[in-house]
Amino acid sequence: MEVFLDFFRGPEGVTLLSVYHAILRLSLPALALIIVIRSAKSLLGFRREPEVWAWLRLATGELLPVTHWENLLGRKKSADIVLDFATVSKNHAVLTKLDDGGWTVTDIGAKGRVEVNGNRVLSGRVNYGDTLSLGGLEMVLEPVSKEEAKLQADSRTKAGKGHSPGLTLVLLTLFQLLAVLELIFNRSEDRVTVMTAFGILIGVQWLMFIGQKLIKRSGFEVETIAFFLISIGMGICASANAGEMYKQLIAMGVGIAIFLVLGFCLRDLERAKKLRYLAAAAGILLFLANLVLGRNINGSRNWIYLGGFSFQPSELVKICFILAGASTMERIVTRRNLWGFVVYTAFIGGCLVILNDFGAAAIFFVGFLAIALLRSSSYPSVVLILVGVGMLAVLVLAAILAIKHFPHVANRFAGYGHIWEDSFNKGYQQTRSLMCIAAGGLFGLGLGNGWMQYMAGAGASDTDLVFAYVSEEWGLLMAIMMIFALAMLGLFVVRSAKVARSSFYTIGASAAMSILMVQAILNVFGTVDFLPLTGVTFPFVSNGGSSMMSCWGLLAFLKACDTRQNASFAVKLSSKGGDRK
Amino acid sequence: MKSIAKRTWFALILACILLFGVLTFAIRYFLYADRWVSFTGSPHVYSHGRLDTGKITDRSGEVLYSADSKQLYSDSTKIRKATLHLLGDKAGNIPPRLLRTYASRLFGYDKLNGTAAMETGGGELKLTVSAQAQAVALQAMNGRKGVVGVYNYRTGEVLCALSCPTFDPLDPPNVEKENSDGRWDGVYVYRLFHTSYTPGSIFKLTTLAAALDKDPELANETFVCEGSRIVNGEKITCPKAHGEQSLQEALAHSCNCAFAEITLRTGKSALTAQTEAIRLAESIEIDGIKTVRGRFDLSDAEDNGLAWAGIGQYTVMVNPCQYMIWMGAIGGGGIAAEPYLVESARCGGKQTYAAEEKLTPRMVSRETAAELRDLMRYNVREMYGSVDIPGVEVCAKSGTAEVGTDANTATFAGFIDSEKYPLAFIVVVEEGGAGSSTCAPIARDVLQACINVLKGEG
Repeated sequence: MEVFLDFFRGPEGVTLLSVYHAILRLSLPALALIIVIRSAKSLLGFRREPEVWAWLRLATGELLPVTHWENLLGRKKSADIVLDFATVSKNHAVLTKLDDGGWTVTDIGAKGRVEVNGNRVLSGRVNYGDTLSLGGLEMVLEPVSKEEAKLQADSRTKAGKGHSPGLTLVLLTLFQLLAVLELIFNRSEDRVTVMTAFGILIGVQWLMFIGQKLIKRSGFEVETIAFFLISIGMGICASANAGEMYKQLIAMGVGIAIFLVLGFCLRDLERAKKLRYLAAAAGILLFLANLVLGRNINGSRNWIYLGGFSFQPSELVKICFILAGASTMERIVTRRNLWGFVVYTAFIGGCLVILNDFGAAAIFFVGFLAIALLRSSSYPSVVLILVGVGMLAVLVLAAILAIKHFPHVANRFAGYGHIWEDSFNKGYQQTRSLMCIAAGGLFGLGLGNGWMQYMAGAGASDTDLVFAYVSEEWGLLMAIMMIFALAMLGLFVVRSAKVARSSFYTIGASAAMSILMVQAILNVFGTVDFLPLTGVTFPFVSNGGSSMMSCWGLLAFLKACDTRQNASFAVKLSSKGGDRK
Repeated sequence: MKSIAKRTWFALILACILLFGVLTFAIRYFLYADRWVSFTGSPHVYSHGRLDTGKITDRSGEVLYSADSKQLYSDSTKIRKATLHLLGDKAGNIPPRLLRTYASRLFGYDKLNGTAAMETGGGELKLTVSAQAQAVALQAMNGRKGVVGVYNYRTGEVLCALSCPTFDPLDPPNVEKENSDGRWDGVYVYRLFHTSYTPGSIFKLTTLAAALDKDPELANETFVCEGSRIVNGEKITCPKAHGEQSLQEALAHSCNCAFAEITLRTGKSALTAQTEAIRLAESIEIDGIKTVRGRFDLSDAEDNGLAWAGIGQYTVMVNPCQYMIWMGAIGGGGIAAEPYLVESARCGGKQTYAAEEKLTPRMVSRETAAELRDLMRYNVREMYGSVDIPGVEVCAKSGTAEVGTDANTATFAGFIDSEKYPLAFIVVVEEGGAGSSTCAPIARDVLQACINVLKGEG
């Protein structure tokens, strides 16, 4: 009981002021919890209703729905359209929808032939009304009529139904205002900066929300989570160095621009596929620029300075990497273009080893695994896994070499697991982190009241150790909540995959989320000494412009796989019908 | 698409790793946050480089350390010296271990509110030691190096835990410059807990415990000593030929020849098992202070090595505190209380910690303990009349450990067999010569002081 009374106690006992702070301390995690739960219900609770893009009418008159843009036709149970006939191969053909509305069919090495209107094809167009024959089994491709499409769009549950994203955003705004209330009290010297910066943040998020409403999109949970995390990050920024809030806002603006442009590009698959080559080339260029222009900061050469701005090219390469790695199913099953991606990954890994950035190397490696796993069918999977293990071995070898030759890496690893034995040197950052996490308790010492602020900048408390910074000032509950929020986005991708339109989107979203989650894992586990500290940022929260931009870019892939009705600006509506009331 | 969708389990695994890690961390938080918050140098609980905690008192309430006072430590030079290793020095060469262990209790830190509602300066840590007994021990040591430990083997309260050499924390010596004669060797080490010594003949009690457990008839046998004995080509000697002697006489004479024979009959495995029972090679934790491990490794020993080990030589090392507990176990009929140094912690008038009594595992059978008690009592009556305190029965054994130089380590260990004053003790004097003549008077003075303290408490 006394513990609860203590909650309201300040340095001078229970006063009006201490009660004011206590209420704020309690309100922030409570609001955060509601925001996270509302978003989770909306993202994880939706009914996975398939979209029907065409019909296949069998000779028996039976109608089979075509529910993706890419469909595996075959005898096996895991095929998208199961044709349980002896003459049909297990994996027989892929039926792919084109952006212009037409369809193609591709023979994927089946024993029986693939014919369109009686002519054998290896890969060819199928028009509505054409007769498709797989190993002698005939079926007719039939369109979905406009009325049917409209009916379907109307009957599917709209995104955010039952959990109004608008209300969640109102709660988030309240959360931000409360944070400002606390900050202007504890950071009165910076109150103008704090109020302006948060004002801009709130303005931008509502602008985005209204903009999406205008184009009849209602799914805003992913963005809400991003803005929730950014709000915490801005609070940290205000506490550590209020002047940097504007820099973060500019980075956020650029990031949102990347998010919108990329999301828009991803609407059309053909456009996105063309973007792959551009992205791959951009990735290579960025790294080459880094190798030539890179400056050494904290022992890693992964920074570039351009006109007063510094950024980490490897952050932006993450987006290029996913674009280069994503692939449509037709490609996957015909096993083309696999080695190109392996070589591309090896190039990136090599650059990172030269640049001595092992945190990033680990992130790309996980990204590679995510993509390789999704791209592999039975035979190539073996090759890819072998390649993956090979790369891991190279990474470990390189790490061992690096520990020998680069003192800064060696130092980071030397303290791991023995932080208390060398708390003033190798374990300095982690011991201070744990100390501050403990000092913060479950509800935090209040925004701007912590000690981690004295370790900001060179001590990396606002970047690599941000989990501890958040724990100290916002409380452990909040720190855990931001992890829940991120993990929730990961679960959303897994859930959405079942009703995805193209494997391109599934691969993109899955790789993007894997990268974001492995960043969180390295960041948090490094801070609390579960893993060696690798200097990786926590998505959206850590102070850092390049990281902010890349996180928004990665988020675009999430939006592209959100096929809930009228959910995402990065997904074309299947029918205008859904627009009307 | 279906098979591709299935393979998104990869992202699912990452999400699970993330969530599982956070859960693990949350559990660790609730287990260890109070340690994290008060570690050395924590700006949340330290001000101007020292723990801003309030005060530390001895068992009678005498203030040993107060963060509020300028000079921090007691007004008495003698008490400052006598309690140095318990409190730590200003420079941090001797860490404030007890304070560190209980710091979070002194502030009223709680894991829910963190340090937000913490009160600094109002804490009070009450130790079980008696400043008076510590001071008597310091005087009795008379500038020699070593340890004096006394504890209540029924409750676990440590009354005296002295380590020498020591210095006045308000007037610290320049240890590096003034150490040409070695007088400050290991001054920063809390010898009672953090040193292990070659035990010498006090180890014969351990050998005897193993031997009696194996063969209770041993008590009725006689042993012939001709002054020396050859074991596996090596000569084991006594100062003189003890002739024919009973077991109690053999122990009283500390006859090496007789104990070589007893050791060989008992054997490696029984002896090793007994050292395991008394936790000789284990580290135990006393209020955050971890004792150093002793050593008993006969894996490479031939018969001669075994014989020497049974006499407390060979490579045998014991930690004095551990051995004191073993003495307590003999006094306690085979089981002792685990020792503790901190009685209670308070914060702002609230009690935040109170010591709990815990028992050791059984170290020896009740019968063997009784037998050992009689042998040790006989020992004191016959050999060390100087240690006998009127009104109580002191049971003890001395040792003179040869450590390779001319100067032997003098050891003396035992207990008082009394319901009112159940005290186990150990005295070690480095370069102290013969165990009984050097250590017995120290033990007598300190035990008398402890009895007086307990008498005073009623």
